[in-house]
Amino acid sequence: MIKLENIEKYYANKGVKNYVLRHVTTQINKGEFVSIMGPSGAGKSTLLNIMGMLEEPTYGSYFFNEEDVTHLGERKKIELYRNHIGFVFQAYHLIDEMTVYENIEAPLLYKNVSSGERKSRIADLLDRFNIVAKKDLFPNQLSGGQQQLVGIARALAAQPAIILADEPTGNLQSVQAEEIMELFKKLNREDGITIVQVTHSEKNAGYGNRIITIEDGVIKEDLKIG
Amino acid sequence: MFKLNLKIALRNLWKNKTYTIINILGLSIGMACCILIFMFINYQMSYDKGYKNEDQIYRVVSTWNYADGNNFSSQGVPLPLAPALRNDFSAQLEKVSAIQQAFGIVKINDAKGNEKLKTQERTFYIEPEFFDIFDFKWLAGQADELKNPNTTILTKETATRFFGDWKNAVGKSFNYQNNENYKVIGVIDDLPKNSSFPIRIVLSYKNYKNKNMDRWGSCSSSSECYVLLKKGVDINSLSAPMAQFVNKYYTDKGPGKEGHHFQALSQIHYDPEYGNFAGNTMPMKEIYGLMVIGAFLMLTACINFINLATAQSISRSKEIGVRKVMGSMRKQLIVQFLTETFSLTLIALLFACVLTEAALPGMRNLFNIDMAFNIFQYPSIFLFMVALTVVVACLSGFYPALVMSGFSPALAIKNKVKANTGGLGLRKVLVVVQFALTVVLIIGTLFIINQMKYIRERPIGFNPSAIALVDIPNDSISRTRFDVLKSRIMQVPGVKNLTLCMSAPSSSNNNESNFSYNSSKDADFQVNTKVGDENYFKTFGLDFVAGRAFSKSDTIREYVVNETLLKRLNVPNPQEAVGKKLNISGRSGQIVGVVKDFNNNSLRDGISPIAISTYKKGYYTMAVKLDSKQIMQGMADIQKIWNNVFPEYVYSSSFMDDEINSYYESEKIMGTLFKVFAGVIIFISFIGLFGLISFVAAQRTKEVAIRRVLGASTFELVKMLNGSFLLMVFIANLVAWPLAYVFVSKWLNGFTYRINVSIWPFVIAMCISLIITLITVSMRSLRAAKANAIDALKYE
Repeated sequence: MIKLENIEKYYANKGVKNYVLRHVTTQINKGEFVSIMGPSGAGKSTLLNIMGMLEEPTYGSYFFNEEDVTHLGERKKIELYRNHIGFVFQAYHLIDEMTVYENIEAPLLYKNVSSGERKSRIADLLDRFNIVAKKDLFPNQLSGGQQQLVGIARALAAQPAIILADEPTGNLQSVQAEEIMELFKKLNREDGITIVQVTHSEKNAGYGNRIITIEDGVIKEDLKIG
Repeated sequence: MFKLNLKIALRNLWKNKTYTIINILGLSIGMACCILIFMFINYQMSYDKGYKNEDQIYRVVSTWNYADGNNFSSQGVPLPLAPALRNDFSAQLEKVSAIQQAFGIVKINDAKGNEKLKTQERTFYIEPEFFDIFDFKWLAGQADELKNPNTTILTKETATRFFGDWKNAVGKSFNYQNNENYKVIGVIDDLPKNSSFPIRIVLSYKNYKNKNMDRWGSCSSSSECYVLLKKGVDINSLSAPMAQFVNKYYTDKGPGKEGHHFQALSQIHYDPEYGNFAGNTMPMKEIYGLMVIGAFLMLTACINFINLATAQSISRSKEIGVRKVMGSMRKQLIVQFLTETFSLTLIALLFACVLTEAALPGMRNLFNIDMAFNIFQYPSIFLFMVALTVVVACLSGFYPALVMSGFSPALAIKNKVKANTGGLGLRKVLVVVQFALTVVLIIGTLFIINQMKYIRERPIGFNPSAIALVDIPNDSISRTRFDVLKSRIMQVPGVKNLTLCMSAPSSSNNNESNFSYNSSKDADFQVNTKVGDENYFKTFGLDFVAGRAFSKSDTIREYVVNETLLKRLNVPNPQEAVGKKLNISGRSGQIVGVVKDFNNNSLRDGISPIAISTYKKGYYTMAVKLDSKQIMQGMADIQKIWNNVFPEYVYSSSFMDDEINSYYESEKIMGTLFKVFAGVIIFISFIGLFGLISFVAAQRTKEVAIRRVLGASTFELVKMLNGSFLLMVFIANLVAWPLAYVFVSKWLNGFTYRINVSIWPFVIAMCISLIITLITVSMRSLRAAKANAIDALKYE
């Protein structure tokens, strides 16, 4: 599904190149649940951003579904966001002015999903995540765990093939974090959604089936588990 | 999608209440001013419209070019011009009609022969062709019968006033000037107020008598001539025949070269050079000026919006990033932001309508015109409001939308959008532009106020205070009663002096004539002639530099001239002129005195060369100098005596001070307008500034807190926050100065007597703008600087 070939990323500062990623080559297949680990500043988030096409690599090529997407136009990129990629953020990033219902509805509106279809999909998601009663509340009226549930529901609304999650439990207490990870595991197993997450916690990484460890911009270890 | 966008927009506006209020306040005031200006211009542009042949109607006007480069122009034409034109231009002109303005006493008796109504009225002697040129709405009768003498046509309002009901008016008659009776042959609908000829009473031109009926050398602004061009004739093709026409008829060579032009009906209201019967013109220059001011106001309000929106954009960067990764196209984000701007603009428009309605009575009062804020009556106002909303929303919404939708999602999500991406550079430029406009208006207003004060306080060469001007009739019977009137009024307590004259030293009623000084050859310029009796100089307080006032006489025997006349004639010593002969259009006399120059026009114009003489047949005004403490009682007594002496006439009077003030009516209006608009623009700019400093203070809360912990004093913090704003306003002043200088010196050049362009108004404008900036900004920065540092830091 995702193929990275010799990805490099550096920031030039007064002629000095500060490398963030060096010679990263890897492949993520459909149905995998990958955790990217490593110390702070190792380049985990940058790698995830490149996968999400939020940043472009300085060198190297990136294939998404066999298609070269290294330098993709705005229009094509948005096409991918609408149909194939869902994002989950550490700080949830719900839109404060929108209710829970509207937050989940937003990507469907951009995708031009019909009104009836929207209603049934949102109802389904609300039901599945047990937040039906919260649908008319605004994000600041919810706990962190609930907000992240809404964030995941929103990412799933467009029925993406892959979810990219940047420390999805970083701001959560351990009980809530466990719930979220269980949810990810379930989505991966039952719905076959590919998941790539960045995490600090060994425990969270354990929910997946592959761990990529990065240090100083280089892949140190690529471990398949479970 | 639209519904959701709208919902989000309203929620966002509600969330940022301060900014919303600032934006709505600024936009609605700006829009209200624009709507008012539009209504005013719309009204002014509606003058003399709606006639069937309006594109083919022209007025014939006159010009004289003198050898010394002076030009003189008049809305009137010599009396023989209309018949000559009819004869010589029959191939090009469909219709030609003379129209003569006059004033007279209308008397109406009831069935028993008792006097029912006696009133002084403005009348127009008009030829029947006039009604072929202008298709007025006829309620009764028709124009044909006007070819018979002693016939009259009234407007609906006048007919109702005279005869109770306009339906009964036809066939009735009234007495005019205690002399002739006129029979009503028709009634036309009232002419609208936006008309250049305020016709109410039309008299048959056959009854008009004047000794100048055949004289080409005499021209009064009361005799106008309108023509209707034949279909398919180009007005430009008439200039060559007109030149021949002038050569053919002007056989006596005067000092000035005569000329006549065809002035289009659509130009009459906008050309102050010629004027019109309605006595009001609106130069296009002033209309453009108002448009510019309207644009200024709107621009300032839009700049507020742009500044606040781009400043706020940073706090919305997260939302933008999230929307982008959810698959929103840039176009969709732009649409969303524009939806917000549109809803805000629409709310502002509603407020603007309320403000417009509230300001309208003041506006009607100021301009003395009839306007209504009614979109059903004037659908163009509605169209303008729609256009205004679209323009304002696009102007103020498009740039912020473009900036915000351009954020990179990766940075936006991480809140790493730098403050600069909100267009800090541009924001500074906009603030400078905004304040430059504000300062230009402040400087302009200061100069207008100063110039008006200068004119009011400048010595005009005579003393106009406590002088009453009373109209007097001048026919052979009335003239015999002049002496009785004078002696009786002199006995009224409080009356210090009185004189009979044609007009006051300063008057809008001026006559010019050819003349010769001490030779038989005419001078190459004309002299302004004034007529008054021997007390003229004492009553008006005119000072002599040589010689004496003339002695009592009923005819022209002696002349008193002013210094300007001698200067123009190159006579350096006033004494030298005394005793010399002066011949003014055939009437010769001796110069007995020279008066110090006084202003015979408004101070916009210079002083004319003037000759004053006695001439009983020219006395139409009695000027009475009163004791200022006894004016009220004195005036009542004068009126009583007057009515006693002239029972068949109608008393009317005015005060010299008011007459002089009325010259500056348009400047006064302009001054008021500038004061109002300067106030509005200052207000808009400074609430914008307040919004901006609020934002900066909020954004720098953390920095302020850290500095405080490090030991900065409140004063130092306020200084830090204020610094850049004061600098921007200072730069704005530097930008504004040259602009204001150009505008101001251009405007002042229109006045002969003007203040010099001094540095002070510029300095004052700078101080005003800097002080208000300091106050506005400090109000907010002080609060930020005094805030408890812990509150700002503990969330980190």
